[in-house]
Amino acid sequence: MKALILVAFAATSFAAEGLDPAKLGAPPTDSWPTYNGDYSGRRYSPLSKINQTNINSLTLAWVYRAVPGPGGGGRISATPVLVNGILYFTMPDHVWAIDARTGREVWRFQWTSRGGDHIGNRGVGVYGNWLYFETPDCNLVSLNLRDGKERWHKTICDLDQYYFGSMAPLVVRNHVITGVSGDDLDRPGYIESHDPENGDLQWRWYVVPQRMGDPGSDSWPSEEAMKHGGGMTWLTPTYDPGLNMIYVPTGNPQPVIAGKARPGANLFTASIVALNPDSGKMQWYFQSSPHDTHDWDATQTPVLFEGEINGQPRKLVAQASRNGYFFVLDRTNGKNISSTEFVKVNWSKGVDAKGSPIPNPAKEPQLDGALVTPNQGGGTNWPPPTYNPDTGLFYVSASRAFSVYYIYDPSDKPEGWGGNDRGGWGESMIQAIDYKTGKVKWTHKWEDGARSGLLSTAGKLLFAGDGSGNFVALDASTGKALWHANLGNSVSNGPITYELDGTQYLVVAAGDTLYGFAMLR
Amino acid sequence: MRFNVFLAALCAMPAGLLAQAPNAGRAALQKVCGACHSVEIVTAHGRTRAQWQENIQSMIARGAKGTEDEFKLVLDYLAAEYGPAASGGPLAPPGRAGGRARAFAPGPADQHVVDEAAALRGRKVYAAECITCHGTHARGGDRGADLIRSEIVLHDRYGNSIGPFLKKGHPTQTTPAAQLTPEQIADLSHTLHQELFNTLRPALEIQDVLTGDPKSGAAYFNGAGRCSTCHSPTGDLAHIGSRLDPPAIQQQFLFPGGRGGFRGGRGGRGGGAATKPLTVTVSPASGAPITGALVHMDDFNVALRDGAGEYHSFKRTPDLKVVKNDPLQAHHELLDHYTDKNIHDIVAYLDTLK
Repeated sequence: MKALILVAFAATSFAAEGLDPAKLGAPPTDSWPTYNGDYSGRRYSPLSKINQTNINSLTLAWVYRAVPGPGGGGRISATPVLVNGILYFTMPDHVWAIDARTGREVWRFQWTSRGGDHIGNRGVGVYGNWLYFETPDCNLVSLNLRDGKERWHKTICDLDQYYFGSMAPLVVRNHVITGVSGDDLDRPGYIESHDPENGDLQWRWYVVPQRMGDPGSDSWPSEEAMKHGGGMTWLTPTYDPGLNMIYVPTGNPQPVIAGKARPGANLFTASIVALNPDSGKMQWYFQSSPHDTHDWDATQTPVLFEGEINGQPRKLVAQASRNGYFFVLDRTNGKNISSTEFVKVNWSKGVDAKGSPIPNPAKEPQLDGALVTPNQGGGTNWPPPTYNPDTGLFYVSASRAFSVYYIYDPSDKPEGWGGNDRGGWGESMIQAIDYKTGKVKWTHKWEDGARSGLLSTAGKLLFAGDGSGNFVALDASTGKALWHANLGNSVSNGPITYELDGTQYLVVAAGDTLYGFAMLR
Repeated sequence: MRFNVFLAALCAMPAGLLAQAPNAGRAALQKVCGACHSVEIVTAHGRTRAQWQENIQSMIARGAKGTEDEFKLVLDYLAAEYGPAASGGPLAPPGRAGGRARAFAPGPADQHVVDEAAALRGRKVYAAECITCHGTHARGGDRGADLIRSEIVLHDRYGNSIGPFLKKGHPTQTTPAAQLTPEQIADLSHTLHQELFNTLRPALEIQDVLTGDPKSGAAYFNGAGRCSTCHSPTGDLAHIGSRLDPPAIQQQFLFPGGRGGFRGGRGGRGGGAATKPLTVTVSPASGAPITGALVHMDDFNVALRDGAGEYHSFKRTPDLKVVKNDPLQAHHELLDHYTDKNIHDIVAYLDTLK
């Protein structure tokens, strides 16, 4: 009831411009109002003006090169957010607003940095007339959508502890959900909710238990290990408004590689955790990588969709995890339905009764090296996957790669990383997974290493980047390549699509440049 | 566009200058490293050549793509332009590379910069006053807190946090810390930050990988591994134990294409046994097949350079037959078959070939 009143209030006050919050739950058509387009993380568009029959008429409509400074050298890993005909996207310390029809700049904003790891930024969240993004130096910044003027900023982490901000904030009703990044030092990961009006903290949930006796603490040897146990929240969660749960994928435990001083499963790192967005209370968890020692985390999108398992309709959440496993869970309670390898792995002894893989101790990093697949890059990584309800397939950019994992710090109390992996050989591909069986229905191998985000549409198309700079449209049913354009740089984000004035656009980033394609005839 | 201009400039240069050209190195850095992250986060660190090598290897494992030449250009460029002096020594914090792009590294831009001499003096203070409870590397123990993980230390710059803390009275009171002079506190601060930075990735290296049994390695080499089908301890592998250290031997035989070469990876070659390039045979619907070194291949096009040095480019159509020959295919396939024991035994065996 309270929520309804809030929505009604919000809708009236933002009617003239800004984001109508009702848009956040709907499949994206004339907007792409949040990181994943809608809350589900499916990155599926119901648009079909661009389809298999006319894909070869797709035209380059505009190009926008985002230059963050005199040296250039930026990379767009953000998924643009589209509100009222304007695209908003980021690089670390930078936000751009550009016209979604023409690619012309509307405004840009630059944050003066106090430091932090500038490895990438995933984008913005929008609430009403306001935009939110995280900076590498640990600030949540709110800008006015209209002109990019700063409204306020709030500290969300401590730069001296080597945290940094990179996640695209998630807006759920009157909550701006933020995560933290950084695994150089042994700090605890957490996720926070902030008041969209003033940035005040509403709640914080620690990924690792803070006191012995708390839930999950029996998976750690000591409070000292646990409180420094990592679990960064790198990636934007997904949300089910009906169940009122956000699904948070959590990062790897610390120390990252040398895990000898943290025996146990190390909850709730490398897990999918369901939280109540109003209270921050945990509803359930599922651990994708118990006692991770390979930097695999589990910060891959938990994708929400309705499915049918053994003839029964089910509310599902699925994750293609960096450790090479594909998990399907009941998202009402976190119970595992299936766990399968979407690329062949060599580090696990199978799965336990709860569906979590059982790590083989011999394949943990060793002083003299252990040959492991996947490598540190993982069976997949942060680039977003897509689920297409028309085909029932879950698509993921995958790698089957090997490397050797070493312990570098043989002491009894390694800290930070304490090891690393080296070398490697691998193959790169798209895997199309049937969620009902967990089996790979088709594989499309690339000649070179590729790591792009994906998009699928009602036009029976799947969009992806290969390792040679091509932006490719594939037949979503068979994986056959139907169309491509060489962008001169590998696709570096998740592509999006939208329709404005009757024209369907397709927008993708490669390196520092955003390309707008359109069906202009 | 800028890239094309740069290429033109390169072509105008004598070949011998290419490897030394900072622009070439900068461009390779941009291409190889900039594909995944900003180059500023790389150049914010000053490192030794060996550390850069380690860093590059680690990035390759994380998916960095490039040719052998490009990785060499990157290594040469970083070692020349961003050596340890750029940041006051290999143990100095990232983010202080001689004033270059200092904000673009993990941690705060204004972080503590270690003075090596002061840190050395601080070690004496540490040994006298702190080591008993806080341990050799300040990581704590039963009797004292972990100082590396201490927020007081993480917030400290040159003693401005630990100084007031110690003055207020040390919890154990076993040593009256207030007696430390401001100079001793500053020295101690350098020591603690040095220990902190020693836990960061760039400061770490591979330890001993020479743990296998050479006899078993020789047996695998000549038997199940079928290595002797192509390699000989007196031929291509002669003296390999003198030419490469054990970690390099291990990486070389496991990943001879090296450099994280993905399926189509080309030109990869390490410092060990020479490897042949990938070749491809293209058979048009009409006309003779053409074989040559693979230049580029994706789903849509294929390009090769034939034995006479001519470049050929094709659009891939259903009636164009393309057969790729990867001379390292047997190595790739072995990755699914080696046990870790096999690997360590082979290293031990190859290391005997001095």
